[in-house]
Amino acid sequence: MGDFLQLVRNENIKVYFRPRTYIMAGLLVGAVILISVMWLLLSGRDTTMWTVAYWESFILFLLVTIFSVVIAAVSVAEEFTSGTIKLLLIRPWSRSKILLSKYISVVLFAALLTVLLFGSTLLVNWLSFGLFPSETALAIQEQLPGQENMSSLQFLFQFYVMKFIALVVMITLAFMLSTIFRSSALAIGLALFLLLAMDIINSLFSLLNYKWIDYLLFTHLDLTRYIGHTTIDGGMTLGFSLGILGLYYVLFIALTWYIFDKRDVAG
Amino acid sequence: MEQPVVRLQNVTKRIGGRTIIDRLTLELPLGEVFGFLGPNGAGKTTTIRMMVGLISITDGEIWIDGHSIAKEYEKAIKHVGAIVENPEMYKYLSGYQNLMHFARMFPGVTEARVKEVVRLVGLEGRIHDKVKTYSLGMRQRLGVAQAILHKPKLLILDEPTNGLDPAGIRELRDYLRELSKVEGIAVFVSSHLLAEMELMCDRVAIIQNGKLIDVRVLQGSKPSSERVRTLIEVDRADAAIGALAEVDCAAQPDGNGMIAVEADRELTAVINAQLVSAGIKVFGIRAQIKSLEDQFLEVTGGERIG
Repeated sequence: MGDFLQLVRNENIKVYFRPRTYIMAGLLVGAVILISVMWLLLSGRDTTMWTVAYWESFILFLLVTIFSVVIAAVSVAEEFTSGTIKLLLIRPWSRSKILLSKYISVVLFAALLTVLLFGSTLLVNWLSFGLFPSETALAIQEQLPGQENMSSLQFLFQFYVMKFIALVVMITLAFMLSTIFRSSALAIGLALFLLLAMDIINSLFSLLNYKWIDYLLFTHLDLTRYIGHTTIDGGMTLGFSLGILGLYYVLFIALTWYIFDKRDVAG
Repeated sequence: MEQPVVRLQNVTKRIGGRTIIDRLTLELPLGEVFGFLGPNGAGKTTTIRMMVGLISITDGEIWIDGHSIAKEYEKAIKHVGAIVENPEMYKYLSGYQNLMHFARMFPGVTEARVKEVVRLVGLEGRIHDKVKTYSLGMRQRLGVAQAILHKPKLLILDEPTNGLDPAGIRELRDYLRELSKVEGIAVFVSSHLLAEMELMCDRVAIIQNGKLIDVRVLQGSKPSSERVRTLIEVDRADAAIGALAEVDCAAQPDGNGMIAVEADRELTAVINAQLVSAGIKVFGIRAQIKSLEDQFLEVTGGERIG
């Protein structure tokens, strides 16, 4: 039955034929350049490119998450608000496959933004700090938080992998909210609230000493803490965190697909 | 009779205890333009949504080209082209991009076919403009275009004349007739515009409060042998009634120099000859054929949304 890749292509067109996508990408790269330039102006060139790249990635990954969550939250909801869902569904494709094509396009977008941030921080900071390093910068023995026995590039790559895993869980959550509520505003609002309130919720819960806290989603979203450590928070391992995230992921996916498949499209 | 392209059997939709559609049974053969008529809120759009699988069917079954829409969705929907309510498109894409989007969802619909359809609905001039710049009439045309891209056997149009100007309505009407007769596809049109349906359809079903009230074949302009009430305007009504009594034709006075008789085509001619030979001036003869609107109000009892 037809060519599934064509469905993914359709969904990609809906993402990349809109100005907002380029505004997001532009803001992200612009922010990278801005931070590097400010750093150059304020504290000179006595820094390695890795230090700047790390801090930029650390700060701006939040932007990647926000933009990806927005695209994920809009994906299904917008078809409902514009009414195009009716024309989209009455084709010889099951609803599950149509939803899958949307989900793939959303994950692709998140991956693209992640790669864009990784690439632009490396390039911009290599140009600013790495190309003609100062004497002081050359002498610096790089020590980023958690970096042990690995090169800076290796460290940064691990950082992005950890961040991306959590990002996929977050956009899956946003995608689910989008499908359940059929309202982009509500899905964006809820997903971003959960994202931004995460630290507060975590620090609140860390005051409590209950076992079930270890099974909450938000306890496991910051995987970068595992870089250079085998256990954190008194005994949790990376495998345990990934297992918990995987469980939530499967739950989100199952709920999303079940609801989308069963729902009456009216109004 | 050949197998109908659509068959609805005891289709029922209940939402929260309220029966929206109540045991609807219909059949639609290829090559027919079928009107689905009813006041606002009668359940026309709900029925269409069930026919294209957008909402579930509580009870009963819908078959399209022999495939159950609930059990073999992909096989059944393959033969359907539809506009459900307004033809909403992706406004940030051009008309052409919209059509290509839907073309990609069907195996075998080529760019050449897309261009052919664009010509067919007369959108060549503006097809590469963004849909947000389109008028309602142009969106309606684009809606028809996406519905016929894959040469469906069944075309479902929900209120297709909404927002079209008289020329557009006429064009759509001629086009639908051609599609049904030349390509042999079945067209299912819903509307509350009675006069419009009368001109467009071979058969209409009237639905009210979710129940099928009546299905009738429209005669079109074909002469009927049925006796209808005929009004004749004459100079002397009393003399005319007397003259008609001679040929066993009972006429009643109808005021203003009018008399009323029950007559078919042949009898009307006989009456005219009789009146003229009796030296009575005949100013006009008018058969009171019931319009679909009259019939509709008659069956629905002119009732409001209930």
